[in-house]
Amino acid sequence: MNGFISVLRKEFMHLRRDRTTLVIALLVPLIQMVLFGYAINFDVRHIQAVAVDQDNSRESRDYLQKLQASQYIDFIASVRTPDRAADMLRTGGARVAVTIPAGFARTMESGGNPQVGVMIDGSDAQVSLRARFAFVSPPSQPAPGVPQARINVLFNPDSKTVNFMIPGLLVVILQVVTVALTAFSVVREKEQGTLEQLMVTPVGRLALMLGKLVPYAALAMGEFVVVLFVGDIVFGVQPHGSLITLTLLSIPFIVASLALGLLISTVAQTQGQALQFTQLTLMPAILLSGYVSPRETMPGWLYIISTVMPATHFMQATRGVIVRGAGFFDLLPQFLTLCFIATVLIALSTARFRKSVE
Amino acid sequence: MAVGNAIESNGLTKRFGDFTAVDGLDLSVPKGSIFGLLGPNGSGKSTFIRMLCGVLRPTEGQATVNGFDVAGKPEDVKRSIGYMSQSFSLYRDLSAVENLQFFGGIYGLKGKELKERMDSVVELVGLQNYLVQPSGTLSGGWKQRLALAAALIHEPPLVFLDEPTAGIDPVARRLLWDLLFELAGKGKTLFVTTHYMDEAERCSEVGYIYLSKLMVKGTPNELKTLPEISPEGTRRLAISTEHPPQALQALKGRPYVRDATLVESDVHLLVDETTTDDEIRRDVEKADLKVTGMRVAEPSLEDVFVTLTRRLAKG
Repeated sequence: MNGFISVLRKEFMHLRRDRTTLVIALLVPLIQMVLFGYAINFDVRHIQAVAVDQDNSRESRDYLQKLQASQYIDFIASVRTPDRAADMLRTGGARVAVTIPAGFARTMESGGNPQVGVMIDGSDAQVSLRARFAFVSPPSQPAPGVPQARINVLFNPDSKTVNFMIPGLLVVILQVVTVALTAFSVVREKEQGTLEQLMVTPVGRLALMLGKLVPYAALAMGEFVVVLFVGDIVFGVQPHGSLITLTLLSIPFIVASLALGLLISTVAQTQGQALQFTQLTLMPAILLSGYVSPRETMPGWLYIISTVMPATHFMQATRGVIVRGAGFFDLLPQFLTLCFIATVLIALSTARFRKSVE
Repeated sequence: MAVGNAIESNGLTKRFGDFTAVDGLDLSVPKGSIFGLLGPNGSGKSTFIRMLCGVLRPTEGQATVNGFDVAGKPEDVKRSIGYMSQSFSLYRDLSAVENLQFFGGIYGLKGKELKERMDSVVELVGLQNYLVQPSGTLSGGWKQRLALAAALIHEPPLVFLDEPTAGIDPVARRLLWDLLFELAGKGKTLFVTTHYMDEAERCSEVGYIYLSKLMVKGTPNELKTLPEISPEGTRRLAISTEHPPQALQALKGRPYVRDATLVESDVHLLVDETTTDDEIRRDVEKADLKVTGMRVAEPSLEDVFVTLTRRLAKG
């Protein structure tokens, strides 16, 4: 035990001097607790639903009210035809569609069991499972006058977990690769002093930044192809929508992730710190984006945080295209949101980057 | 020899908040000379160089480098200078050739021209046998020669060398200086910072920067004969004795001794002129040491800077 106390004391001094590491080490568990505690909740309620009331009677309205009272689903819209409702499911506007056919009240009065059409978006297995709870499973011989729900799971009808995990994984992998590599590539130049050497050359700031980012963007696109390929070959997950749509949607996400990496590189002084910051961005991307647990269960403030994260919107986009076969225009809101977030991040990171290389 | 000045600085000043890093610096460096900038760490050397390289904008004052204004035309300044820093700052995972290609490309060299320039700098620094291995695996001396080659790839008329020999062995140091002389002989202007006095002696002119100000400037000989260095009423002498460190201790506290240090194996003293050799000899012998010789000594450059720094530190 020669020198134990000296080594111990020295180690504490290192910890005290490296504020960034200390703060991250203390902060990360707290953030993790909050995220795991609040974000992971499989007891989904208030699932967004759309109603198609073709009977428009007191009885049909009563029936919808009763469904709403179950708290499992929330009616957020009402449309005229089941086709329109199915469209909303595909675009991700709603997860459940309830169609009450004309003659609903009449059948009820005559003592029959009126049929109610229910469509459920099966792309998130947790959500679709809970949504079914709203519709009391009918006994084999329902009592006279009780409506009978015919449930139809539209996408991922077998509720296979891989079908919605692989598209989510695509998002997480793309983000990690892009953010980490970009941050490292800049911080490495800082650490080794090559950035200082570059600053005395006439290299343009924009040329330097783009020159550094483009290879990692290309690498991210390669990764994107690999994940899709392995998802298909190994897990049998095939995109229902077009690959072009998926690629188009991935561009603003990759750009946003590159900007995030650049932003980290302006804060981190060492590669170790860059790694810590990268992990700090990874956790919310996994826990808040809806990858593990549905966003519907999150408390309001957490929901807001998840809304400003690019991963959330790209997650909706990948599941939309791969699981539900959504087209580009169905996902236009996600595309525009991603473009907006990317623009803000680029403005922020380039401004900081310019300052840091001066 | 080329005429005119490679660097002209007038009242160049840089402030960071309340702190003045460089304070009203006037300096002109003639073309084709080797200018040595000395000064303790944190005295403002690096800030001054960074302004001259067009990396930092001066707060006040004005400077031209190769005829370009550092504030107005920093890009032209950068194109016309080479820069080599104290720590090896090329890409360690790239080979010498790849590093040279990269930096050549940054300066807009390509094709046959780039090839010719690369061959020329490789030959100049003698890097022929170290072209393909990752540059991080080169020894310190070779790393610095590669860095010099990269700084010369675009044929700049002026090269800044920020402590180029820090941490390399004496032989490599000598070889690097031989290279610098060769470059100066070809008409290039070299602006070198160093902490080594023997390197300062090799410069055609030396400037001394302390507490953000340029204190003196001149040839090494001019500096040694500055009146402040050997003030009126003092004289310098060298004493040979047995066991010089003990003799130094014996003399250091004497009232007539203004400064005392060891050089080679002699005690060098700056003493009041009125002090006689006998008095000094007696003091040494009191410590049971024999004096074997006494002679008049010239101030060294080290004496110059130590004396100047002490005078200024006292206010």
